[in-house]
Amino acid sequence: MLKFLVYRVATIVPVLFGVSVVVFLMMKLIPGDPAEAILGPAATTEKIEMVRRSLGLDQPFYVQYVRWLWKVLQGDFGTSIAVNVPVAQLVWPKFWNTVLLTAGSLVICIVIGLGVGIVSGTRQYSWFDRISMSLTLVVANTPAFWLGLILMVVLALYLGWFPATGMYSMRASQKTFGDLIHHMVLPAITTASVSAAIIARLVRSSFLDVIRKHYITALRAKGLSERDIILRHGMKNALPPIINIVGLQVGYLMGGALFTEVVFSWPGIGLQIYSSIVARDLPVVQAAVLVTTFVFVLVNLGTDVVVAALDPRIRRA
Amino acid sequence: MEKDRTTFETLEAAFIEGRLSRRELLRRSALIGASAAAAHLLGSLGLARPAHAQGTPKKGGTLVIAKESELDILDPHSAGGWVTWRVSKQMHEGLIDEDLTQANVPYPKLIPKLATSWDISKDSLTYTFKLRKGVKFHDGTNFDAAAVKYNIDRCAAKDVPQFYPRANAYTQWIWQFLKEVKTPDEGTVQIVLREPYGDFLRQLVQGGGGAAVFISPAALKKYGNEGIAEHPTGTGPFRFVERVRGEKVVIERNPNYWGTQPYLDRIIDRPMPEPAARMTALQAGEVDMVYVPHPDGIAELKAKGFKLEQGPAPHVWYFAFNLKDKNYQDVRVRRAINMAIDREGMAKQLLKGTAVAARGLQAPCCPSYDPNFKDYPYDVAQAKKLMAEAGFANGFDTVWQTSVDGSGQLIPVPMAEWIQRDLAKIGVRMKLRTYEWITYIGYWIKGMDDASNKVGSQQMSWGMTSDYWLDIVTNSSHIAPAGGAGQNGGYYTGADSMLNAARAEMDEQKRAALYRKVNQKIKDDAPAVPIINDLAPLMLSPKVKGFVHAPEEWYDMTTVWLA
Repeated sequence: MLKFLVYRVATIVPVLFGVSVVVFLMMKLIPGDPAEAILGPAATTEKIEMVRRSLGLDQPFYVQYVRWLWKVLQGDFGTSIAVNVPVAQLVWPKFWNTVLLTAGSLVICIVIGLGVGIVSGTRQYSWFDRISMSLTLVVANTPAFWLGLILMVVLALYLGWFPATGMYSMRASQKTFGDLIHHMVLPAITTASVSAAIIARLVRSSFLDVIRKHYITALRAKGLSERDIILRHGMKNALPPIINIVGLQVGYLMGGALFTEVVFSWPGIGLQIYSSIVARDLPVVQAAVLVTTFVFVLVNLGTDVVVAALDPRIRRA
Repeated sequence: MEKDRTTFETLEAAFIEGRLSRRELLRRSALIGASAAAAHLLGSLGLARPAHAQGTPKKGGTLVIAKESELDILDPHSAGGWVTWRVSKQMHEGLIDEDLTQANVPYPKLIPKLATSWDISKDSLTYTFKLRKGVKFHDGTNFDAAAVKYNIDRCAAKDVPQFYPRANAYTQWIWQFLKEVKTPDEGTVQIVLREPYGDFLRQLVQGGGGAAVFISPAALKKYGNEGIAEHPTGTGPFRFVERVRGEKVVIERNPNYWGTQPYLDRIIDRPMPEPAARMTALQAGEVDMVYVPHPDGIAELKAKGFKLEQGPAPHVWYFAFNLKDKNYQDVRVRRAINMAIDREGMAKQLLKGTAVAARGLQAPCCPSYDPNFKDYPYDVAQAKKLMAEAGFANGFDTVWQTSVDGSGQLIPVPMAEWIQRDLAKIGVRMKLRTYEWITYIGYWIKGMDDASNKVGSQQMSWGMTSDYWLDIVTNSSHIAPAGGAGQNGGYYTGADSMLNAARAEMDEQKRAALYRKVNQKIKDDAPAVPIINDLAPLMLSPKVKGFVHAPEEWYDMTTVWLA
C-alpha cells in the first residue's frame, strides 16, 4: 500500500508542472495586453510602457515563468492586475465558496445518484426504472447553465421559493447558515444535475452486474433478506467503480460549478475566473486554474487510495 | 395625421436630446393632438412624473445595485471606467462638480463643491479657489489647502514622496498643463498652468479616467499609495464600509457630511456580469437597480411595473477611417459611406430605442454639442454617385473591425453587420473582424497603420461632458506612437490648428462655438462616421424614488430614496 501511495503521489508532480506551464503559456499566447487592459481607451504609449515595466511584463516569458513559479511555491501568487490586491487574498475565499457549493452538489449527487441507481438496478424494467433512466438520459445531456436558468425562472421568479442570485441576502444584517443553504439549493441542484444522472446510470449498471453474480444467487438460496443481500454484499462489490466515478465527478462538479456560479452570481472561483479572464487578469487566472487543478488531482488521488483500500486487486496491479 | 406624427417625432427627438423641457414637450404635443404619444414617451423614459412629484422623500433603507462588471480599485486618482467612478464619486469630492440633480438640461452645470468660489487670472493661467470651511474627511481630519496640494502633487509632481505613477497616468489629461500648486493660506489654493487650457474646469469634473478629487492625506500616509484603494477616505456624502471582491462594495451615509445628508442608509454595489442574472435579480427583488439591462427583457419588466430610466449621455459610437489606406484617401468615399448608413433605422429597430442616431462626431452633453447639427442624410443614390466620382463605381473590398463586447459598446457585432449590409448597397464589400474587448482595445490603441492592425476602419464608443474630448480623438497629438497616444487611430490631422485655438479659448460660449466649427470641419473632412448616441438605459424597482438620470455617465445618489 505504501509503495502504491508513493507511486501515485510521485505521478502528481509532473502533472502539476505540466499544468503550470500550460496555464502560463496559454495566457501569454492569447492576444491582448494586461497593461492596455488596465488603461482602456485612455491609454498612451508612455502609460502602457510604465505599467508593463511595473508588472514585469517587459521580461522574456521564461523569466516571467520561473519568477512566478518560485513565488507560487512559497504561496505567493502575485498581485491581481485588475483590482490590485494579493491574488491569494482574492482566490482563497472564492475557492472556499466553490468548495461549499461543490460539497452541496456532491451531497445531492450521492443521494440522488445512489438512490435512483440502486432502486433502478434492483428493479430492472420496472416503471420507476424506465422513467428514471429516460430522465437521467435527458438530464445528463442538458447544459447545466440552461437548466440553471430554467430553475431560476420557475422556482425563484414564479414561485418565489428560493433566492435567484448570490450566497447570502445582501440586506440581512448577519450571515446565517439557513440563509446560505437557502441560497445554495438552486445552484447546487444545477451543478449536481449532470453528475447525479451519470452516477445513477452507473450505479444501476454496476448493481445489475453484481446482482447476477452466482454468489448473490447463493446468498438468496441461503435465505438472506433482499435488503441484507443488496446493502451488505451487493454494495461492497458494486462500490469500486462507483467510488471511482464519484471521485471523478467531484472534479466535474467543481468544473460545473464554474458555469453555475456565473448564472447564479455565486461568488466562487468560477465567477472569479470569468471576471478575471475578461479583465485579462493574468495572475488571478493562473492561480485559480492552478488551485482548481491541484484539488482535482488531489481528489483523484484520494479516490484511488480509497478504491485501493477497498479492493486489494488494484494495489497489486 | 401623417404630418402630426412627423411633427411629434421632431418633438420627441428634441426632448431626447435635451432641447425641449418635459413641460414644453407636453404643451406642444397637446397643441398637435399628440398628448397620448407624449405621455407614452415620458413613461417609456421613466419620466412620467418629475422627481419631486414622486412623494415625500424619507430617510433609511439599503439600495442594492447590480453592475455589469467588477469594479476597478477604489483609488479615484488611479482607476478608470464609469462602473468604478459611479461608486467612488459617492465617497470623494473635488473643488467643483457637475450639478447632476437636473435631468432636462443640455449638459451639466458646473457648481461649487469643496471650493465655494473660483477666479481665473487675466493671463488665463492661474486659477484661485476659495475652499469651503469646516469640511472633514471621513477619518476626521480637516480638508484644507495643504490637502489639495498633497493630492494634486500625488498625481502630477514627480519629485514628491507621495507621487504615484499610476495616478499620474490616469489623470494626465487633467493635469497635463500644470505648472505648480500654491497655497497662500489654508483656505485658498492657486493652480498655475503652463499654457491656457480652456476646458480645464470641465476636465476637473471628469471621472471616466482618473478624477481630480481629494483623499485624506493622513489616510494616504497611513495606507500608502497602493493600500489606499482598500480604505477610500474622501469627504463625500457616503463613506466606505467594506468590499468583498466579486461580491459587493458597501458604502453608508456619512453622518458628518458638510452638505445635505443623503436619504439612503447604505448602497450595496454587486458585480453581476451575466445580463440575464441582473434582470432576474431585479425581478426577484434582490437588487433595486440594474445597469445595462438586457434590451430583450426591458419590455417585459416595464409591463411588470419596473421603471426604465434613460436619456442623453456623453457617448458616441463611431467608426474612424484609416486615412493611410488607399481606399479612404478621397473625401468623397468617406462622405459616401457617411450617407450610406441608415443610423435612424439602427437606433429604432436594432437598438429598440435605447439609442438615437448620432449627429456629428462630438458626443452629446457638452457645451459645444449642437442637437441641430446637420449630419449627412441617409441618401444611397447620392452616395453611389460620390463613389462613382471618386473612381469607385465598382466599390472595393475592405476590412473593418470592432469588439464583440465591452464597456459602452452596446451590441457591436449586430451593429457592424447592419453597417456591412448598408455599405454593400454602394459596393463597399466590408469584411468584419472582431475581437473580445480587451484584445480589441490592444489593437485599437495601436492605430490602423500598425503592422498588426492594418484595417480600413475601426470602431470605438465613448465621450465626455468636456468639449476637449473632440481634441483627444482627432488631434494629431494623439496619434500613436509618435504623439504618445493612439486615440486618433486614423491619422487625421485636418483640424489641428482649429483644435489648438479652441483649447486656448477661455470663454465657454466662444470656446463651444469654436469646437462647433471643428465639428463641422470634421464632418466636411469625414475622417470618421458617427453612428449612434446611447441613452444609457437602466432599470429601477418601483420602490426607488428620486433618481435623476442626469446627462452624464454617473449619477448623484444623494437624491435617491426608497418608498
